[in-house]
Amino acid sequence: MRKNFVFLSLLVVLSMVITACGGATPTTVATEPPVVPGETQAPTTVPPTEVPPVEGPKVLYQTFGPGDVPTLDPAIAEDTTSIQVINEAFVGLTVINEVTNLTEQGIATSWESVTNADGTETITFHLRNDIPWVRWNGTEVETVKTCDGSADRIVNANDFAYGIERNLNPIVASPYGYLLGMVLKGAADYNNGVTTDFATVGVEVVDDFTMKMTYLAPAVYNLQISGLWVARPQPKWVLEGDCDGAVEARGERWTEPGFFQSFGPYTMSEWIHDSTMTLVKNPFWPGSDALPVPKIDEIQFSMLDEAVAFADYESGNLDSAAVPAADLDRVRADPVLSAELYNGVNLCSYYYGFNITAPIVNDVRVRRALSMAVDRQALVDNVLKGGQQPAQWFARPGLAGAPTMADHPDLGIKSDTAAAQAELKSYLDEKGLTVDQLDITLMFNTSSGHQRIAEAIQQMWKDNLGLTVKLVNQEWAVYLATVKGADTPQVWRMGWCPDYPDANNYDREVFAPNGSSNPYNAAGEPEGGVFWKNQAYVDLLNQAAVENDPVKRVDLYAQAEQILVYTDAVIIPIYWYARNTCTKPYVVRTFGTGGQEEYAKWDILPH
Amino acid sequence: MGRYIIRRLLYMVVVILVVSIITFGLMHAIPGGPFSREKALPAATLLILEERYHLNDPYWKQYVDYINNVLVPHITTTPPSTALADDCLVNVKIGKVWIRWMNFGPSFKSRSRTVNDIFRDNLPISAQLGTMALLVSVSIGMPLGIMAALKQNTIWDYIGMSISIIGVSVPVIVLGPIFVWVFGVALKWLPPTGWGAQPPYILGFLPSSLGWDFFKHAIMPSVALGLGASAIIARLTRASLLQTVREDYIRTARAKGLHERVVITRHALKNSLIPVVTILGPLFAALVTGTFVTELIFGIPGMGKYFVTSITNRDYPVIMGTILLYAVFLVIANLVVDIVYAYLDPRIRYD
Repeated sequence: MRKNFVFLSLLVVLSMVITACGGATPTTVATEPPVVPGETQAPTTVPPTEVPPVEGPKVLYQTFGPGDVPTLDPAIAEDTTSIQVINEAFVGLTVINEVTNLTEQGIATSWESVTNADGTETITFHLRNDIPWVRWNGTEVETVKTCDGSADRIVNANDFAYGIERNLNPIVASPYGYLLGMVLKGAADYNNGVTTDFATVGVEVVDDFTMKMTYLAPAVYNLQISGLWVARPQPKWVLEGDCDGAVEARGERWTEPGFFQSFGPYTMSEWIHDSTMTLVKNPFWPGSDALPVPKIDEIQFSMLDEAVAFADYESGNLDSAAVPAADLDRVRADPVLSAELYNGVNLCSYYYGFNITAPIVNDVRVRRALSMAVDRQALVDNVLKGGQQPAQWFARPGLAGAPTMADHPDLGIKSDTAAAQAELKSYLDEKGLTVDQLDITLMFNTSSGHQRIAEAIQQMWKDNLGLTVKLVNQEWAVYLATVKGADTPQVWRMGWCPDYPDANNYDREVFAPNGSSNPYNAAGEPEGGVFWKNQAYVDLLNQAAVENDPVKRVDLYAQAEQILVYTDAVIIPIYWYARNTCTKPYVVRTFGTGGQEEYAKWDILPH
Repeated sequence: MGRYIIRRLLYMVVVILVVSIITFGLMHAIPGGPFSREKALPAATLLILEERYHLNDPYWKQYVDYINNVLVPHITTTPPSTALADDCLVNVKIGKVWIRWMNFGPSFKSRSRTVNDIFRDNLPISAQLGTMALLVSVSIGMPLGIMAALKQNTIWDYIGMSISIIGVSVPVIVLGPIFVWVFGVALKWLPPTGWGAQPPYILGFLPSSLGWDFFKHAIMPSVALGLGASAIIARLTRASLLQTVREDYIRTARAKGLHERVVITRHALKNSLIPVVTILGPLFAALVTGTFVTELIFGIPGMGKYFVTSITNRDYPVIMGTILLYAVFLVIANLVVDIVYAYLDPRIRYD
């Protein structure tokens, strides 16, 4: 989520300075203190031992991006950082594997699906009955008791129903209420205030550990969305008070340290706003195949800017950090750092969209010519340099339902200068124009990174087509208003990262009517973004949504992508993201592909 | 003097109102809103959010409501609730009634926090850093300026002024990362990031302990931030002192046989301080309310970044809150400067 574009130019300067210094002292990292066996990083020091050296608590030092974690309330969360903590603290009915992106068992251990006569789908979830709510009491994690103190409060179906209700309640104003509204029966009406009766929503608590959810259609991604942060249990007694006032109502303050209660592998023990957040292992989490019992006792997150965090990593204060783009060359050349570097998949896509109603680019031949004239491999090799993949379509490999390069090597659109020149010539000849009469503007939001990509592509169009385009940039929020309104320029930049790892989240939620980059007005006509209308595309997405055969489903999305990027060529897919992360050698970990990590699977070796 | 101060404080209310009207107008004039997203929110969701934060009210009503919440003390019998919309900076209970004042509103970005939370948690850190940077800048800048002035056109003058030129022309954005690299990463003498004090604070802003844990985090940012300001102070001190030592009363002091040191400290220095004190007022307000670049480079959880991020996020209450806070600090700092004038130069009288 690239929200801090304003910082970027600053960061480049920073990184240059750091890089320059690094060039002078390339072996600095090797001068770390010698490794002492049994030494720990824990702030609580191990008492001097006589006989066997006792392992202290395992503490992992991690970083979030700069700025405070916006919230820990699942009902209003919308950013990756908040959702990362929420995933550790509140487990959903289902869990999405952070590496494979497959749906796994969460609190629900089994479920049955029935397609009803009216075309809706009902899934009956069977929940675990052994997971207590816990809280950090200042010294340790303890279970939360019922009013009479006789038993632990166990996570049950009512807690889930309460969480879903809060997410949909218009008073809470969740930015992601629409996600459940898209799949869950009656949820959109409740979310939009058409009805205030939650019984009309397809959520039924059968008993404490059984719940039935009714969905608008038997869509493949229903299970995924039901496990997302928008449908997580929340402690009603903390929010609203309970036990005749013995449990105080904390209202909107319930996520503050001291009040916070959760049940997942980790719970939050300390949150110094804008500075650090500490998660501690929940010893009452029983573990499951998807989310094992955590091995690391404590995770300390600091909230640092990327370049600052990497300096902190190099000085040994962090166990893992993303590598800033400007530092990549130096890291690859460094014998120590290069061994700690991991380059892998990040499920985001970068693209240029067309306003297909704007002059010149309203002809598909021009759009195709511009798309094919972009040398994506050269862009990755010479400008991005982070191991990104040239993109041939939008819903990138790795998402459920998305075509892969192995299955569909020739799908979509590829860099092809000769074909691009032919398409453009055909257009120019028909209109009786010359290439220098074409007036095209490419717009992007102000950032040195986007600037470099735009300049490279501008040069490619100049070299390959003889076409000169104007570059214009705008500040982020201004830009968003521009490219989603009537003044959308001919060509504009955008990116997309998954909310849930399914091709539906890409192809439908971005480019179908009323998608993020294809807004429609009340009369049902396009009013911004790509200004695109194509019924065949929508039909394919509708079929794919309910197609249970994975091979057929991929094929339907492949056909839809072909329309999107070639037949109608409403966007130029440019590259598929990669992640570049350094991790200290003593950390055992997995590498998440969808922007989330699963810390319950990590470990720290003695070092 | 008392009447003068009261009059100035009343002016302050007028200044705040003018600043708030301009800020409010400007922030609503720029395109985009707090809920503009790369992933555009559906129209219905946008409507719910705008309803929640009263953004669909007419502008005049939003402004009047804001000023009412911030400036007007509210007297009520209902105690403060846990709702974020109900978070006041001043809550005083007298008998059965509550006097509640200064509700700066919620943050749209950190939806579980309020602007008052940011003031309570982040402002103290910026104030600690700013105060230390100011001390660094004064304790380096003034001696440097005095030395340069007294040894005018000697090697000492040139050295002092060269140092101050370097101080001005090597900004924090360059000096900071160099410090981080040298002392934090390469030598590992000091932690490259973080801050050594955390809530709760003594009197709301002082760190609870002033040990090495505090200073090891504070040294690099305070020096990096203070050096630039010290250069300005050195140049001002030098210029002002050079002018003062040419005054008639200095010649008189020398003529009556006073020791040179007494001439300088008692007569020249005190009178040459007026321009320096003038700059210290706004400098104090700027340093204490937060410095964006320094806090970013050293990973310090202060207020500085909110001045910038609130605008990029269109976080309206945070924009208003930070700007008004700065305005208040600036007005008060300038008032203090004016009072100090009267002490430094007995010819200045306000009543």
